[in-house]
Amino acid sequence: MNPFKLEVEELERKARSVRRKIIKLNANSPAGGHTGADLSQVEIVTALYFRILNCAPDRLTDDTRDIYIQSKGHAVGGYYCCLAEAGYFPEAWLPTYQHNDSHLPGHPVRQKTPGVELNTGALGHGLPVAVGLALAAKRDASPRKVYVLTGDGELAEGSNWEAALVAAHYKLDNLIVINDKNNLQLAGSTESIMKTDPLDKKWQAFGFNVTQCDGNNVASVVETLEGLKAEGKPNVVIANTIKGAGVSFIAGRPEWHHRVPKGDEVELALKELSDV
Amino acid sequence: MSNSEHFANIMVQCFIDAVQNGVDLVPVVADSTSTAKIKPFVDAFPDRLVNVGIAEQVLVGTAAGLALAGKVAVTCNAAPFLISRANEQVKVDVCYNNTNVKLFGLNSGASYGPLASTHHSIDDISVMRGFGNIRIFAPSCPRECKQIIDYVIAEEGPAYIRMDGKALPELHDENYQFVAGEPSLLRSGKQVVICALGSVVHEAVAASDILKEQGIDVSVVNVSSIRPLNKQALAKMLGETKHIISVEEHNINGGLGSVVAEIMAEQGIVAKLVRLGIEDGGYAAAGDRPYTRKMLSIDSMGIVAVCQQLLQSEILNA
Ligand SMILES: Cc1ncc(C[n+]2csc(CCOP(=O)(O)OP(=O)(O)O)c2C)c(N)n1
Ligand SMILES: [Mg+2]
Repeated sequence: MNPFKLEVEELERKARSVRRKIIKLNANSPAGGHTGADLSQVEIVTALYFRILNCAPDRLTDDTRDIYIQSKGHAVGGYYCCLAEAGYFPEAWLPTYQHNDSHLPGHPVRQKTPGVELNTGALGHGLPVAVGLALAAKRDASPRKVYVLTGDGELAEGSNWEAALVAAHYKLDNLIVINDKNNLQLAGSTESIMKTDPLDKKWQAFGFNVTQCDGNNVASVVETLEGLKAEGKPNVVIANTIKGAGVSFIAGRPEWHHRVPKGDEVELALKELSDV
Repeated sequence: MSNSEHFANIMVQCFIDAVQNGVDLVPVVADSTSTAKIKPFVDAFPDRLVNVGIAEQVLVGTAAGLALAGKVAVTCNAAPFLISRANEQVKVDVCYNNTNVKLFGLNSGASYGPLASTHHSIDDISVMRGFGNIRIFAPSCPRECKQIIDYVIAEEGPAYIRMDGKALPELHDENYQFVAGEPSLLRSGKQVVICALGSVVHEAVAASDILKEQGIDVSVVNVSSIRPLNKQALAKMLGETKHIISVEEHNINGGLGSVVAEIMAEQGIVAKLVRLGIEDGGYAAAGDRPYTRKMLSIDSMGIVAVCQQLLQSEILNA
């Protein structure tokens, strides 16, 4: 059971609150951050933690809990804000993001942060490990589901496609891959750096059940994730998103991959993200 | 520091000069053009760069293919992903096939500080030492960096260049001449020999200056060539004292500390060796450079303290 089970409207409020946290967290970071990547995934991670995942802060040792893996580890800021909002660790930790010896380093470290399930940051690791977790759940007849969020640029790593073969081969229908498809990567558009399209056809060819959603629309994310079936095939959800979603001057701008809001930008962003 | 320069900028300028001098050099990157600081090269030669996307194995394999076809292929990406992700491509496609590929390990060591261990390369020297026939260099200052890069571009065959991720000041004057394999004596003293490589050479030099004011006289040896390495020359420098310290932003196993220990054993040098770096079984902390270095005692004050302890124990044992 998810302890929150929020309705769509409440999830939208949560998503805004997470976004405000993301702005403040990055503004406070002494070592930059990945603001665009953090904002891109907000609806997906918020829907998971506040409605979908069978997981709770007091059940982190329950081996039937669902697992979420943040494979795009550089968007750890967005992940932390969601985990804090959901009570996995004190919100007071957020201003220490990337400070010396913080509980919240610049990529996920499970030994440091309650709720983090896998150390990532080198792209292309989440899916193979998720395959192992899903396989174990099958063997143990566990109800566990394994969710893994990747970037779209990240899909150039061959390890994803090697793992995809394994997932289909072992019929891991308890595995849900979500691609945060914002069409941008570090240096520019995926179209110009390394094309992944047509992505749906690739996943289909690899034996996945493919669905798409509007990844920055909570209702669409929830409907899609709740509509997934376990019918002998692994699932992939191509979440069409906008990198930097929610803040007009960050959205769709590649330079915000590795930028943090400064000075007036902080207030401007928070204003755009206010609840009224 | 006005004369400080970022090594990646030096690298890109060397590439531009090489192409202008007729070298058929092709840089290969994995998405991150900003890590490589490659823009001036692309501006000068719009059609030369190859960007393989976020795919380090393909980065190195493609470079090997380009080299087999006669190009001078240079890969430019973050050292941790080069070393770890593309490990077998480095071993087989570059080293074993002996292709003319130059691997630039950018932002090496713990340069990425707070980004934590996935982004640190504290094993690159040990990994590369385990492979055959690849030259291994770790520049410590701009002049040396430029000369090393010019050297590897001119010499046929694989090379790994360990590049620090911060702007670093000069250690040498304009008369400096890099010679592959030769350790260089930056400070000459009688009580302790400090061997260092890469950016921590600056910490060692600063430590020696602090110690000098205390009347303690130490040598600093910059070992920027790990392979080739003139072992006799290094042995001679090590043999000057009874106390040796190695300093590296790298695991103490397999890196400079191991190189020094091997030479001491092989050449019969009897002295006490303290290896400073990331301890056996450890990781570099997630934090900024001063913090991480302090934790590891590889900052100047840490080195000073170790020197003092060594000399103190000598007095007590005498
Ligand atoms: C193995 C590896 N190579 C390179 C990087 C550097 N890097 C961090 S984020 C990033 C771009 C990621 O783009 P994408 O997957 O589309 O994620 P987005 O930020 O757009 O959500 C790159 C190249 C890395 N972290 N890991
Ligand atoms: Mg993307």
